[in-house]
Amino acid sequence: MSVNTKHLKASDISRDVDVLSPVDDLMTLPSPYDANGLEPKFKELKPGWAEEHCASLDGFIALDTLKRPETQEEEDEFVEKFLVGLEKLFQDANKGALQPLQLVTEFCAKCNTCSEACHIFQASNGDEIYRPSYRVDVLRRMYKRHFTPSGKLLGGFVGADVDVSWESIARLGEMAYRCNLCRRCAQACPLGLDNGLAAKEIRKLFSQELGIAPTPVHKKGTVLQLEVGSTTGLTRPALLDTIEFIEEDIEERTGRAVKFPIDKEGADVLLLHNAGEFIAWPDNPAAFAILLDEAGVSWTLSSELMGYDGVNYGIWYDDVQAKKVALAQFEVAKKLGVKRIVVGECGHAHKAIGVAADRMAASEDKVPVESFLPLMAQLVREGRLAFDPSKNDFPITLHDPCNMVRQMGIVQPQREILRAIAPQFREMTPHGVDNYCCGGGSGFAIMNSYNFGDFRDKVSARKKLEQIINAFGDEFSDPSVLKCVCAPCSNCKGTIRDILKAYKVTAKYNVHYTGLVELMVNALVSMEQPYLEFL
Amino acid sequence: MDGATLVSVLLLAALAGFLVLSALKFWKYSRLSTHGRFDLYPVPKEGADKVRYGGSYFEESEWWAKERTTSLSTEVVEIMKEMFFIKTLFERQRSLWWASFLFHAGVYVLFGWSVLLILGAFVRADFVIAVINVVGELGFAFAAVGTVLLLVRRLTDEASRVYMAPADYFNLVLILAVLVTGIASWTTGANVYDVAAQVLTLSVVELPALVMVHFVLLGVMMVYIPVSKMGHYAGKFFSFHRVLWDNDPNLPGSKVERNMRAAAAAPAQTAWSAPHTRPTQTDPSASEE
Repeated sequence: MSVNTKHLKASDISRDVDVLSPVDDLMTLPSPYDANGLEPKFKELKPGWAEEHCASLDGFIALDTLKRPETQEEEDEFVEKFLVGLEKLFQDANKGALQPLQLVTEFCAKCNTCSEACHIFQASNGDEIYRPSYRVDVLRRMYKRHFTPSGKLLGGFVGADVDVSWESIARLGEMAYRCNLCRRCAQACPLGLDNGLAAKEIRKLFSQELGIAPTPVHKKGTVLQLEVGSTTGLTRPALLDTIEFIEEDIEERTGRAVKFPIDKEGADVLLLHNAGEFIAWPDNPAAFAILLDEAGVSWTLSSELMGYDGVNYGIWYDDVQAKKVALAQFEVAKKLGVKRIVVGECGHAHKAIGVAADRMAASEDKVPVESFLPLMAQLVREGRLAFDPSKNDFPITLHDPCNMVRQMGIVQPQREILRAIAPQFREMTPHGVDNYCCGGGSGFAIMNSYNFGDFRDKVSARKKLEQIINAFGDEFSDPSVLKCVCAPCSNCKGTIRDILKAYKVTAKYNVHYTGLVELMVNALVSMEQPYLEFL
Repeated sequence: MDGATLVSVLLLAALAGFLVLSALKFWKYSRLSTHGRFDLYPVPKEGADKVRYGGSYFEESEWWAKERTTSLSTEVVEIMKEMFFIKTLFERQRSLWWASFLFHAGVYVLFGWSVLLILGAFVRADFVIAVINVVGELGFAFAAVGTVLLLVRRLTDEASRVYMAPADYFNLVLILAVLVTGIASWTTGANVYDVAAQVLTLSVVELPALVMVHFVLLGVMMVYIPVSKMGHYAGKFFSFHRVLWDNDPNLPGSKVERNMRAAAAAPAQTAWSAPHTRPTQTDPSASEE
């Protein structure tokens, strides 16, 4: 029997079909991507994948650690453990998020206003499983059925009608990883309810009770970071080698002898990068060093364990891991005696240590945290950096990372900087706090197990690609015009890099990407050669 | 006690029940208020200038060293827009807003009318009665039309229908039944001011059957609203004021700091089970959210 993927009921989550809602009807991209044939194909699902994991939601696998049970006993045990965790989600084990979670499960009016705000729901042309309220409705109905008097007494009359089985639980877990946690839906809710937060709560149940989380965010994420200091696997000796290499590279390219201060006690600023920058985009930490050096800021990097990687994947799926990482980062800053932590170009690191950790640590254990954006804007405003904007005289658009903008309210500093250095800066539509997620938020940027990268590139990042195309208007299709997307966040930058490559946007249409500080260095009067490699 | 008196007593008890159950709902959520930060911008208390584009104190370097100014008036104005005008729905889903606004406006007006009835029961000046009549007519009209429109939408809009449990229809049908019996009672000869005076003084002589039915349904609805999803009037305050708009930093000496210390002094009674969440000798901080 065919399934109408546009109007599934919550109870359909346990439906006995190979794939509940295949992705087969995507939003049409603007010209020229409506007809140029450059859209990449989905990878075929290999038979073994579905036998071992849950590919029965939409054909994609995010939870690579979720294995199908081999016996009925294993299945029963899994269901039992899930129900125990589901109950804890609404108990004081979860007191850090109990109020918002109870609000969304108790009061959602199912008006669906949130749906139009969701870039994934839009990109799929309205597949029900991606509607922000759908996954929460499944969770709500499961909870009601097993834990509320009304659900136990009245069952389906009050909506307590979702079967709790391995398949429905596994699909719920997968659905929690079809949301970027960008919380644009919460912004649209007339009742102020947060379906994005609820998606994270489902992830939390899976991780904190069942021990199930995607390998890239847990085992190779927070666990690796706590063990060796970085989710990239970058150890202290490797970091020091990398920095030495970057210093040499700066000197070779610019003639400047810029020395990275390391473990400088009592510095004003401890700069906390996403360590992925050292490996994937060393020009970014180099640009920070050039700018801070030129402006005469007292700053340092830390080479201590937990002091040189600002990421905190815990905030995407596991409060316990998030707290361990945040407390360790504060401890390093305290030990160094710096006056403040300044977070570099990483959106979730901003939110993790600037907002989420704010109430995880006692105030005496913390060091004040701020974004690099107001600091850089201040340096621009005070004239401590001299720019020649004509060096960036090409069309530039800005991606607003959700964590910095919608979830921290940092909107103007980056624009103040761009107005000073980029004469052809133009906004995306929408932008600021109304921006769309890049599609890589909440771990998607680093999740490439099985075929999940395809979901990111073709579905969750689709709206961002549409915005990029539209931002450049007629110039987009003209390869003679060099264009640039500024993404001041590592995860966003990685996602935009991936879509520009997957859709051959750079190769065919001359669209490039960069961070903000690289654009700033490129515009410095003191730079004799272009800093951006694509120039 | 005769039937009319019994119904009157039950109605007054239901009214008290509504107030008590609503207060309990507020209390339930207020005692859950110490939680992590879930700021979502725009946050109105950042003031009129910043709320326009969604800015915050994080836009300033060394924000913690500067005096923080917040605007209670901007927050009150924004929450009032949400509560009385349903601003977000107006901006984002106009087709549903018409039904929702008429319904909610009708309910608010009828609450006001109910209070005015007390005045009308004892002050029978023509002008006062005329004004109260108009308020009541408007309230019944708005609420009834809004309820019917919401019911039609839930029945006809496929995207809504798949989410509706039978209880969601029951809620609207119950309200509609209260409204229809109320309108019928009023328009078929019952003097609402006499009835109100008699009910309030517990001196009911006789009530028409239709009014008795209306009172029973009204009583049921009053008690049912706070324990059902319709009690979202309590939740809305918390979801905005205490969740999305709570961006108060945990600074030394702050109220947030005091609340966090109090919360830390009352450890959780339940704990997660995954091995990495369990406290260890070297890492006693695990298992805390």
